[in-house]
Amino acid sequence: MDYFAQQAVNALALGGTYALLALGLAVVFSILGLINFAHGELMTITGYGLVFSLAAGVPYPGALICGVALAVFCAVAMERVAFRPVRRASATTMLLTSFAVSSILHTAFQNFISARPKPVPVPEWLGGAFTLAGIQIGAIPSLSILVTVVALATLVWFFQSAQTGLAMRAASEDFAVTRLMGINANRVIAASFAISGFLAAVAGILWLFQRGSVDPMMGFVPVLKAFIAAVLGGLGSLQGAVLGGLILGATEVMLRAYLPEALLGFRDAIALALIIGLLIVFPNGLMGRPIQAR
Amino acid sequence: MKRIVACFYIALSWLFASGLAHAADPLKIGFVGGQTGYMAQCDQPNLKGMELAVAQINAKGGIDGKLPIELIARDSRSEVAPSAVMAQELLSEGVTVMISPCDVDHSVAVAQITAAAQVPTISSCASTPSLASVGGEFMFINCTPDNLQGGVLGKYAAEQGYKRALVLVSRDTPYTYQLPMYFADAFKKAGGELIGTVEYKLGQQDFAAEVTKIKALQPQPDVIMTSAYEPDFPAFLKQLRSAGVTAAVLGSDGLDSPTIWGLGAVADGVVFSTAGFPVEGSSLAQFASDYKQHFGEESQTSFNATGYDIIKIIEAAVVATGDKTDGKSIRDAIDNLQDVQVATGKITYRGLNRIPLRSVALNKVQDGKKTFVSTVTLQPGEIPPPN
Repeated sequence: MDYFAQQAVNALALGGTYALLALGLAVVFSILGLINFAHGELMTITGYGLVFSLAAGVPYPGALICGVALAVFCAVAMERVAFRPVRRASATTMLLTSFAVSSILHTAFQNFISARPKPVPVPEWLGGAFTLAGIQIGAIPSLSILVTVVALATLVWFFQSAQTGLAMRAASEDFAVTRLMGINANRVIAASFAISGFLAAVAGILWLFQRGSVDPMMGFVPVLKAFIAAVLGGLGSLQGAVLGGLILGATEVMLRAYLPEALLGFRDAIALALIIGLLIVFPNGLMGRPIQAR
Repeated sequence: MKRIVACFYIALSWLFASGLAHAADPLKIGFVGGQTGYMAQCDQPNLKGMELAVAQINAKGGIDGKLPIELIARDSRSEVAPSAVMAQELLSEGVTVMISPCDVDHSVAVAQITAAAQVPTISSCASTPSLASVGGEFMFINCTPDNLQGGVLGKYAAEQGYKRALVLVSRDTPYTYQLPMYFADAFKKAGGELIGTVEYKLGQQDFAAEVTKIKALQPQPDVIMTSAYEPDFPAFLKQLRSAGVTAAVLGSDGLDSPTIWGLGAVADGVVFSTAGFPVEGSSLAQFASDYKQHFGEESQTSFNATGYDIIKIIEAAVVATGDKTDGKSIRDAIDNLQDVQVATGKITYRGLNRIPLRSVALNKVQDGKKTFVSTVTLQPGEIPPPN
């Protein structure tokens, strides 16, 4: 039972990080219909922002803020430079643009920063753990869970109460009508990118605390996971993205914990098969809206 | 008339070009490596090491003072198919010796092309011993082979009095799977017991499930061995220690990077095998200072030195042929090299089926620094047979 409880905490911590990432993808998708595969690079940018501001002598909390601010700035810049010119093009064009942005950034990191990982100093206390009701919980997983909850709560408030948040929700329902109501399209889209950059930065920092280094390829795996989570939850649904992230995290951790050794090599295949199974039952994802017109 | 002029012009330029080429006629060495993509973290530093060696040799007039080297590098983008294409391209540029990418399957792709052309090929850092047989008569390994490293670590673990070992493996690459298995072979042979194998995926980040599994083991392992490298290794180690598992941790040459000893207290006591240690006055210390002088920055990884080694191996082989530069002669010469002094130490190929014998250095992370434990040379009987 202890073992299960421990693994459940692990699942929640990983699922929370996936949820943050998937939510970042979903915020942009719900408005633009774009899956931004360069989302993972925003995590990497956060890492480099942190490393370079620490090297410049900025104290740790300040460096964290610099990292987050840089990611938000780059997300908005990405939209302005790469996605705005193709906004009226087909979804495929935008998708390919995002692949291009991602691979240009990879190569730029490799050639202008370093192909080798750069160490990210992590505060010592994050290596600790505490015991709660017989379950040992590491400082990083608890931080992951805490940060996820706070970030999600802030977002819920933002979408329910802030004017830009309301405008974004309306835009995700029907962009054309929202614009007719006098909402500035550029502002709503820039805001969605800023939020996705912020979420990527937060997830990126949690990720960095766990690995202790930043390298050019860092964002590659997480963005794939986030994509799977977002599809599972229903593309375009924000609640769905969170749910998808949590389910994906839990599935991965539980398979790793309970699969017999001989089957462990297949665990990704099994996890994806389970997700395909879910998608057969819920073709639009768990919380996706049915697509009315094709 | 126009046509005759054109023909004359072409003939003249051809004569001129071939005449010029003959005057310099350098030894062309091709390097197909992942300058971008996931292998860049190994193959970029490899290239720098090679460039240093080429610069040093050419500054003295070339190999034996008369044969300059021209290094032509191509980016494989860390993918298999472009590796083959780039190899073909370099062959048509007339390279005599080829250096193939860091990963084993990419090297096989290159070897399939170079073997047919009888161009000796050395992998920059693939260390799977079977590469030399799969790649054919012209394929050589440069880095310390996995079975040698596994053997050294297994023997070391037993000598430390560890009784129960656990290995963390990933089936994603032969390096991350077979090296720990060779360790297990050697450890069991020396009287130890393997109590568990835990699997991970490259780039997995989150090791909570695996660490919880290890923590639940009764009795606990004395030592955990893995050939995971960055970013997996730091993530695993941090989560392992934060869960309170105190077993000793052993790793392999993928850990030879300042980012590992930069991890802080968590990495204290980690022992890893690598090609050498820059003891004062050693060839590796000399290399480190040459590197700094040439590039104006510290060498950040052992791949700089192993890249340098390849050019030194080729130099030694060409000298041994008496300055013959055909592929077959160079191949035979490399196959016959013995105790060649390279940056990381000495290297021998004679009688070993193109798998090098190198001395292996054990290093330990202590107080944020890399410290020297010992240099180990195994007896042939102590090296686990390649599978």
